[in-house]
Amino acid sequence: MKRRKFLKAVLAIFGLTSLVSFAYPLLRFLAPPSGEARIKKLVIEKVEVPIGGSKNIVFNDMPAIVINTPERGLIAFSRVCTHLGCLIEYEKDKHQLLCPCHAGTYDLEGNVVSGPPPKPLPRLPLKVEGENIVIG
Amino acid sequence: MARRLKDWLEVRIGLDDLIRTQLTEYRVPNTINLLSTLGFVVLAGYIIQVVSGIFLLIYYVPHPEHAFRSVQSIMSSVPYGWLFRQIHVVGSNLLIAALILHMLTVFLMGNYKRPREMTWISGAVLLLLALVFGLSGYLLPWSQLSYWATTVATSFPTAFPFFGDFVTKVLRGGENVSGITLGRFFALHIAILPPIFLSLMVFHIFLVRRIGISATPFGVEDEEKRPLAQYIKKTYPDGNPFYPYFFQKEMLMVMVYCTVMFFIITFMPTLFLPEAANTPADPFKTPAHIGPEWYFLAQYQMLRLIPNKFLGISLQIILVGLFLSWPFLDTYKEKNLRKRPVLRGIFLLLLAIWVVLMFWGR
Repeated sequence: MKRRKFLKAVLAIFGLTSLVSFAYPLLRFLAPPSGEARIKKLVIEKVEVPIGGSKNIVFNDMPAIVINTPERGLIAFSRVCTHLGCLIEYEKDKHQLLCPCHAGTYDLEGNVVSGPPPKPLPRLPLKVEGENIVIG
Repeated sequence: MARRLKDWLEVRIGLDDLIRTQLTEYRVPNTINLLSTLGFVVLAGYIIQVVSGIFLLIYYVPHPEHAFRSVQSIMSSVPYGWLFRQIHVVGSNLLIAALILHMLTVFLMGNYKRPREMTWISGAVLLLLALVFGLSGYLLPWSQLSYWATTVATSFPTAFPFFGDFVTKVLRGGENVSGITLGRFFALHIAILPPIFLSLMVFHIFLVRRIGISATPFGVEDEEKRPLAQYIKKTYPDGNPFYPYFFQKEMLMVMVYCTVMFFIITFMPTLFLPEAANTPADPFKTPAHIGPEWYFLAQYQMLRLIPNKFLGISLQIILVGLFLSWPFLDTYKEKNLRKRPVLRGIFLLLLAIWVVLMFWGR
């Protein structure tokens, strides 16, 4: 192998190695740092959510809502719209959840009624323990 | 003193020769008009953004707990802070408007045709970068408007399976828009985008000078119709000198640009700063009325109308792809739009759709 060809090959190998060894740390650097330990359960008092009312909560850094419907009782959802991440609001009069960004609506089961959301709202596990509501 | 400085430079860099070859003997076509000055206006607009942005950096604090207050302080406490922020805010909108107008005029005059494909692509990428500039800068005041506009924009990749969620997390630096997102967008806005934008602009200007400025297609024989077998720089020996003839036109348009900017700052100061822009970000409350800047309104409305998120965002990506590759799609040699009724019809239809969607999106 001639000296010039050899130098070209060495340059290519070193260049590629440098690029790859830089690309991996860069990707790791930009990837989200691992989150803190998450709470497993959130407890609120039953009186905070009267029948027909709702309460906005934060569960594991995620905005969520607990609704006390006369028909279905207590129910909890993520408030993050499955379309583009805006926060839904409970419309008590219309018995629905509305996203203000693109007017997506959900029923009180979290199912999409109208608008662009591609999937239902994630439902959070909930149970009543005495005078408390335990989410998670 | 000036004479001595000129002589000092002359013997070192050949200043006279530089001025002669690049300014006074560099000739532009006689048919060139004010519309051809828009590229220079964009350059001037970018310089205004850089200077005003550097001034804002002196007082801005890129932290979720301080960002909003620091911006409010710039507006109300720092002497003339309001002026530099308004120049930056209004200037960003005008810069994008000038870029869109520049692209439109280039399109209407068919100046994207060979051998200027790369000039078109670099210009189109500059427009896209300017939009990213606008988006990244939008978050920095940490207002309700900026927070939720960024939440929506960074949710776009989630439309794509497999990698979409990861891309969104990388953009946000986590699940939600947070202080980490602010840090990322700040770095993007002030350190990553400016050198990229500047380099691309230099490349764009290099192409314009290297290939030769394009004449308007009306009443002039198009050089694009000749067979493209070798590089030939388009020159205009009978044209007007760039300096002072065309340069004065360009400066006139820069003055018009600044006049519009100061008119808006003086008489319509809230045009680009609605109420939600003056409310601190609340990650737990999406405002009832929220919308992006005017240049994203059409895309925003399109997403509202298309029920499938994947389809809506894919369609927008396809449209961007068509926009970038347009010189390779329209290979018809005729530049004059008056002789191309189909293209004229498509252009007017697309423009009408864009305008309707934009106003509808409000």
